[in-house]
Amino acid sequence: MSLHGLLVAWNTIRSFFPPDLSPSYLSYVWLPVVQTIGMASAGMVIALCLGIPLAIFVGTRAPGWRVVVTLLSALRAIPDLTLAILAVVIVGLGPPAGMAALAAFYTAMVGKVFAELFLAAPPAPLGSLRATGASRLSVALFGLIPLTLPDLLTFGAYSFECALRASVIVGAVGGGGIGTELVGAINGLDYPRATTLIVVLALLVAAIDTAGWFMRKHPRIALVLFPIGIATMILNPPQIFVVRHALVTFAAMFPPLLPAQSLARLPALIWQTLEIALGGTALAVAVAIPLALGSARNVVHAGLVAVLRRFLDVARAVPEIVWGLILVVTAGIGPLAGALALGIHSAGVLGKLFAEAFENVDRAPVEALAATGAGRLPMVAFGIIPLAMGPLAIHTMFRLEWNVRAATVVGMIGAGGIGEALYNAQQHMQYQQMMAYVAVTWLLVILADAVGERVRNRLGWKYVTE
Amino acid sequence: MPKSSPRRSDVLASSAALLVAGLLPARARGATAIRLGMIPDAGATQVSVDQKRPLRDYLAQKIGRAVDLIVPTNYNATVEALGNGSLDFAYLGGLTYVQAHARYAVVPLVQRERDRHFHSLFITQSAAPIHALRDLKGKSFAFGDTNSTSGHLMPYYYMEKGGIDPERNIKYRFTGNHPATAKAVQAGIVDAGALDQSVFQAMVDAGQIDKSKVRVFYTTPPFVDYVWAARKDLGARERTALAEAFLALREPADAKVLEILRGKAFVRADDAEYDTLRGVARKLNMM
Repeated sequence: MSLHGLLVAWNTIRSFFPPDLSPSYLSYVWLPVVQTIGMASAGMVIALCLGIPLAIFVGTRAPGWRVVVTLLSALRAIPDLTLAILAVVIVGLGPPAGMAALAAFYTAMVGKVFAELFLAAPPAPLGSLRATGASRLSVALFGLIPLTLPDLLTFGAYSFECALRASVIVGAVGGGGIGTELVGAINGLDYPRATTLIVVLALLVAAIDTAGWFMRKHPRIALVLFPIGIATMILNPPQIFVVRHALVTFAAMFPPLLPAQSLARLPALIWQTLEIALGGTALAVAVAIPLALGSARNVVHAGLVAVLRRFLDVARAVPEIVWGLILVVTAGIGPLAGALALGIHSAGVLGKLFAEAFENVDRAPVEALAATGAGRLPMVAFGIIPLAMGPLAIHTMFRLEWNVRAATVVGMIGAGGIGEALYNAQQHMQYQQMMAYVAVTWLLVILADAVGERVRNRLGWKYVTE
Repeated sequence: MPKSSPRRSDVLASSAALLVAGLLPARARGATAIRLGMIPDAGATQVSVDQKRPLRDYLAQKIGRAVDLIVPTNYNATVEALGNGSLDFAYLGGLTYVQAHARYAVVPLVQRERDRHFHSLFITQSAAPIHALRDLKGKSFAFGDTNSTSGHLMPYYYMEKGGIDPERNIKYRFTGNHPATAKAVQAGIVDAGALDQSVFQAMVDAGQIDKSKVRVFYTTPPFVDYVWAARKDLGARERTALAEAFLALREPADAKVLEILRGKAFVRADDAEYDTLRGVARKLNMM
């Protein structure tokens, strides 16, 4: 970037401060905030109501359960922003579209993960329950669910936090709530207000984080989702004649079709998307390692840890697409802005995970190293980092998979690649083309997941994280 | 499972009630109101919607029904909203209108006098060595929204006519809306850009653009642009009432409303005016 470019970027960043905290503006903000919470709750309520029965169906190995698993995996591989765009076209503007998109995405997620938890439940108690001649439903109610409850709750809380972040993405394409407001503010060059909204969002995610922690202790709190979600659904019904229109519009999107000219550009677009994903992940790792060392309690002073962890929290609380919107303003459009956006958010995620990995290393070898009189630097370089290499590699692999999906999402705001092509086709109402790009995205994500899983299995690691 | 104390359930119940109350007004208004949409040609936020309140109030009073004003986040969403019934009546650009007419048979009602002979302006920094379209070769350039008539379609068309191939000769990007294009040029993020003349004028008048920093170097020949159109199934009575309300706007009595609409007076619109524009849109594969 040239000196002039840096100056322009600096001036733009400065124009984001100070945030607009005037009472008159804050009185505007609460409605989109409530809408966002309502949308995320409603999406989760639908997802739980649909996803749990599906998961039970799979978990009790009812006939045809493998087909359901395949369908859920397929649905889960469609990025949330893509679902949101489809929902806005089909269901109409505002919260109903947002709820529909979130419900679809999280039904697949809840269904798939709960099903995996059920399948992994200890078989002995379930077998004896079955031996009494209990029906599938009773096996689920008295066996599967009680056996896996703690994990269900942990994952449930985590997915609500994700849904809240995702509701911003959904809002960005017209689904209502904070996302709509934030995109409006950035497009309207209203940067101080955009900053306010980002701060509100970070606080909201932090609040859900804390609530999730309480929920694991007091699972009943989770029930509050139901009145909020159901109220939101009742208060924001889609229009009456939408069903016919929705079916007609959706049918017209098939078969997916790419004209020869676009087909020729496809390999370059795929490469660009992978570049964004790889670049973003590499950047995140480079930034996350020093930050994680600085926020690991066994490496540095607790005061520094507290400061750096808050820093990581902010990077993590703001979704990639929001970082992307800001970066497109400051760094201009193109894959660089996309990679930076993924890099910042992923640095927040990886920084936290890496720090935990550093804190969890086996203490004996490190202490042995310290006993030789090694200073802090050699201790870190030859002790802690090599010992944490395994988890670091695994976290990075997971992130790379996630970033393939996210790369298509930031593509939609001008970062290039498949995502941008998809968004442009949608904007020009070339829906058959759009569906072709959706299909390509979907294949890419499935491929990345499969490769990631193979690598993880070979290394013998497994866990669920964002 | 630990017992939750009654106090906590009170807190939960009241917070749920608060959320419900917060969501209520949207529904209460939505039920019988006419839903009015505007493409986000100058960005869309609650605040910008609120600044248009005089327009909403004026229309509500004239047609005797509540009016909901909605600015979707993008042009496409505005067109689809007319198709799926989320909007009854909307302010569209020329290109979005011909798209919406082709897909959903929306009915053009009224437009500003100036929309019949609208212009796009090409702007650059005062000191830049750009004085005509041909000087754009090798330069970076900003269009507005990809679906904008005066911010993309027509500038693109006249650039081609002027011997510049936008795909080969310039490096272009979309800013999303007209004010963003003006700001991007003023800040030097791009060398030049094209935008709506009425937005540019309004920004200069309001002091948001410094006339000493930004200079117009090319003005396109006239074309037809913005129009207010009704969804196909909107009743004849509502259509007439809305059209009459716009046609009755007069300066200085309705100056506030006219300023929001960036116009002086309204005239009836019809589909035939858009034939040329439709041809350009088809030729450039934008519909």
